[in-house]
Amino acid sequence: MTATYLKICQESFDPEAEHKAFRDAVGGAGAIVAFTGLVRGEGADLTLTLSHYEGFTESQILEIAKTAERRWPLAGWRILHRVGAMKAEEPIVFVATASRHRRDAFEAADFLMDYLKSEAAFWKSESAAGERRWIEPRAQDIDDKKRWTK
Amino acid sequence: MIDILFFGRLGDVSERLHIEIPQGLTDTDGLSSWLSEQNVALGIELGKVGNRIALNKTIITASSPLNDGDEIAYMSPLSGG
Repeated sequence: MTATYLKICQESFDPEAEHKAFRDAVGGAGAIVAFTGLVRGEGADLTLTLSHYEGFTESQILEIAKTAERRWPLAGWRILHRVGAMKAEEPIVFVATASRHRRDAFEAADFLMDYLKSEAAFWKSESAAGERRWIEPRAQDIDDKKRWTK
Repeated sequence: MIDILFFGRLGDVSERLHIEIPQGLTDTDGLSSWLSEQNVALGIELGKVGNRIALNKTIITASSPLNDGDEIAYMSPLSGG
């Protein structure tokens, strides 16, 4: 049985606590890879706001995770993604994968992040000094995702 | 009645709509054209590349029939993580 967990949350989360919970859930796995994405600390007054499409976003992420499960022999995965307003250095996303051997966990986590960046229904804007701008995928994000279809 | 949702940049130019299917419209392409006529700013945004449309929470890549009770979501380019 694969230990799976998905949460889209308004409130902040503690990546270390999530790592511990995941480690407990996948007891016996030989490898865990965990990634935490943070709001870049480029401006103390900057607010990053993420929105999602409730119900749709969750089902899309589950499909992405199922693809990862088919591709790599995973003991489990754990995904948390923030929505709402957040400040510099707060965590936005946590992705962890577990497998028997390291390579599968590394690749699956990398794959999940690439797809979360450009295929999961989130919209990101940043605002500072009363100005707001939308952040859309960069060419690099699109290229990163293409690595998995070559 | 149908629900029309707008996400990301598209949400800046239109609020969520809960309307009867406009007279004569039968599919999502027709709906997109009708929305563009009603709201010029929305029409400009809908004409940009990278937008996606979901019908009842499933992405569609071709025009699809509209039915009473449908939920249509117009989404600007996605950006998570």
